[in-house]
Amino acid sequence: MVSGFLIMGGLGVVIGVVLALASKVFYVYVDPKIEAVEDALPGANCGGCGLPGCSSNAVAIVAGKASASSCVAGGPDVSAEVAMLMGVKIELKEAEIAAPGCSYGYQDADIKYLYQGINDCRAALLLDGGSKTCPIGCLGLGTCVRACPFGALSMGPDNLPIVDTKLCTGCGTCERECPKHIITLTSTSNRIIGEYVSDECTAPCQRSCPTGINIPGFIQEIRNNNYESALAIIKEKCPLPLICGYICPAPCELSCRRNLTDEAVAINPLKRFVADYEMETGKHITPYKAPGSDQKIAVVGGGAEGLTLSYYLARLGYKPTIFEAKPQLGGILRYVIAENRLPRKVLDHEIEGILQIGVQTKNNVVMGRDFQVESLLRDGFDAVAVTKGGFDSRQVLQPDQNDYDSSISGVYTMLDFLYILSKEKSIDLGQRVLIIHNGRESLDLARRCINMGAERVTIVSSPVVHELPLELQDKKGLAAEGIFIRPQTVVTALKGISRRLIRVALEDIHPIGQIPKERETIRADTLIVAAGRLPEFIFVKSEDQSEAQEEEIVWETIEAFRTFPGDKDGICTPPEPGRISDSSAVVKSLLSGRRLTRAIHQHFSADSVTPIQGLVCETDSILNVTEVHDVISSNRERPHIIDVEGNSKTAWIFPDEYPGLDEASSRREAERCLKCGLICYRKQK
Amino acid sequence: MTDYILLIVGCIFVNNILLMQYLGNCPFLGVSKKMETAVGMAMAVIFVLVMAGAITWIVDIYLLKTFGLEYLRTLSFILVIASLVQFVEMFLRKSIPGLYAGLGIFLPLITTNCAVMGVCLINIMEEYSFTQALVASFSYAVGFGLALVLFAGVRERIILARVPKPLQDTSIGLVTAGMLSLAFFAFKGMV
Repeated sequence: MVSGFLIMGGLGVVIGVVLALASKVFYVYVDPKIEAVEDALPGANCGGCGLPGCSSNAVAIVAGKASASSCVAGGPDVSAEVAMLMGVKIELKEAEIAAPGCSYGYQDADIKYLYQGINDCRAALLLDGGSKTCPIGCLGLGTCVRACPFGALSMGPDNLPIVDTKLCTGCGTCERECPKHIITLTSTSNRIIGEYVSDECTAPCQRSCPTGINIPGFIQEIRNNNYESALAIIKEKCPLPLICGYICPAPCELSCRRNLTDEAVAINPLKRFVADYEMETGKHITPYKAPGSDQKIAVVGGGAEGLTLSYYLARLGYKPTIFEAKPQLGGILRYVIAENRLPRKVLDHEIEGILQIGVQTKNNVVMGRDFQVESLLRDGFDAVAVTKGGFDSRQVLQPDQNDYDSSISGVYTMLDFLYILSKEKSIDLGQRVLIIHNGRESLDLARRCINMGAERVTIVSSPVVHELPLELQDKKGLAAEGIFIRPQTVVTALKGISRRLIRVALEDIHPIGQIPKERETIRADTLIVAAGRLPEFIFVKSEDQSEAQEEEIVWETIEAFRTFPGDKDGICTPPEPGRISDSSAVVKSLLSGRRLTRAIHQHFSADSVTPIQGLVCETDSILNVTEVHDVISSNRERPHIIDVEGNSKTAWIFPDEYPGLDEASSRREAERCLKCGLICYRKQK
Repeated sequence: MTDYILLIVGCIFVNNILLMQYLGNCPFLGVSKKMETAVGMAMAVIFVLVMAGAITWIVDIYLLKTFGLEYLRTLSFILVIASLVQFVEMFLRKSIPGLYAGLGIFLPLITTNCAVMGVCLINIMEEYSFTQALVASFSYAVGFGLALVLFAGVRERIILARVPKPLQDTSIGLVTAGMLSLAFFAFKGMV
């Protein structure tokens, strides 16, 4: 009995002492903030922040690894409370909502078999990826609806989920639960600057449109007699619908699925019809805007690209100002294209619409004469985008009649460089010169630079030439003269201090698919562009101002067309390093304008621009149909004209001003659209 | 050697602690909804059971048997196991935070697990040697983990099925557990 007491008591005492010691020895400090933050979070453990639950997010917030506004389900109130606990300012995260990406229910889509199993998408997926033929088709069994913790989803009549945008908090539970990744989150900004990816339901016409207009969508609205919302859909991707309606080469019509049976749908005339409708009503349909971010952006050049850039910047809440050298905006559209192809009243109407959404303009100002990059940055602009693409290489330099100052400091075209030399004998080159060229002339130019006092001249050869001219192959001999050759290289960025160029970033061209080498930055005081032109540059104030003296500003450029990581092509144009914009058609300039917007937006709000993976391109081997069935054949509607004998007839080639479709024929034409998806289309029999 | 193999097979399958001896049923139903947590629990049980098996054997032979206090076995085992788990938790948190985060909530849960207690008592009743006790504890724990993981796999699929409302969740879980137990009856008489 006594021994029992002693043994148990002794055991208790020993264990107690050991545990007491252990708690001292193994003491771990736990921040009381973690508990406080965890209490502030909603405790739904939805995982919208990307971490396993609210407690892990609390730890991450206190450790500074997650932002105070990382809780998407809690919204601004929770963010404010967490920010107060942490003593930080909140950067508001743009709200995201779920968007289902399939528009053909079971009754209309092609299916492989009839599924009658467990009523859950995850179970249905186990049988050959679901019963729909389309690999990205919604299985329609409502797993997302049941998963939604906020009751924002419901199943529509065609077995496709419908999102109640008022209830959706953007927690992303549906996105994670959907086994086919069909329902995804998007924000307004991402919809404005996004591009199509290969696992997204897109029609062939939509994929081949450089701007990516939702063509089946707007034609559907014409069918519904809803012309204004049709135009709103077009304006989401294309700021100049009427101009495109007149002069677009319409690559979309070439890939129309109707070509497989009869004739392509008259997509471009339909677009022109709704745009004409807007012009007749005399008011402008204003597209939706994303919440603002107040930076002022200077856009140099008021052509199609500059107008598009300003349009999207204004929609993203920036404050763009266009600087145009000519008396009126429009660039090539106004000063080059024949008036009977594009009436100027159409141009004026479209430009007026763009200016209305918040774009300032300054006409008759020339870069290099009236202002410089430096002066704009000094005047409070946060970025300067140069969109002079269509006017070719001469526009790198806009010489003043009096003192040959170049628009970008230290950058000359070869022609201007030689012209100045012919008059003045010498130019202050500095020590390092960079020449972009791949011909023999570059060697002469390099030697002249050396004679004028340059210490080191680097010749950068463009990727087009695979073999250098013989004179440039003697690398050792040339190096002794101070001339260095860099084949297969492009210039991707510039850096300067106030009116001086100091550095140039070079990048080797690499085959698509290979990991690019890290870019190299070399010192350069002068850059001579002998062939081609420089890519569109966006100038911003450099974060590192340590090299500046007194009043100087250090500036640098950000790359415009390389905001797409990964190795795949973009819509029609692969975003390789040093890419210049394609101005061969107005729609291609519109695409460049939108990509510039994306680059600027990514620079100013790095977090909210998600990288695009698997960009779709018309050359992509994306799933497509090669024959269509059950489609009633019908002829394409053509505009009516009066022939020489005074009779009305439909025509394909027009004598003078290009006539549009009237309302009745537009409605008939809209009925011809098959409303294609990736592989689905509207069957008419 | 054969003895040990028989012991291992016997502990894992024939006398499976969950499905044949029906010990430790609360974590069996509690943490088997997700495979992830089931695996976590299984690991924690293996870890604790081996340590508890060793410590309780020592306490029994050198303390209780020596002083003739076998009647205090249950009481002292509870004390020893509870404080052992406490100690291990503190130790892991300081020294191996990765493992601590991995085992998470399951460590303290095991304090009140009757499977752990049961195995320790079985070790003594069967009069195992120290090595045998260690092997048996490990094998029982593996058997526990096996049953738990199997059950979690089944339950993850049952969620997708249309179960009548009155039978949902724990009810269908218990029905499934019963069927799984029947399946394990096939091992009966093997050893």
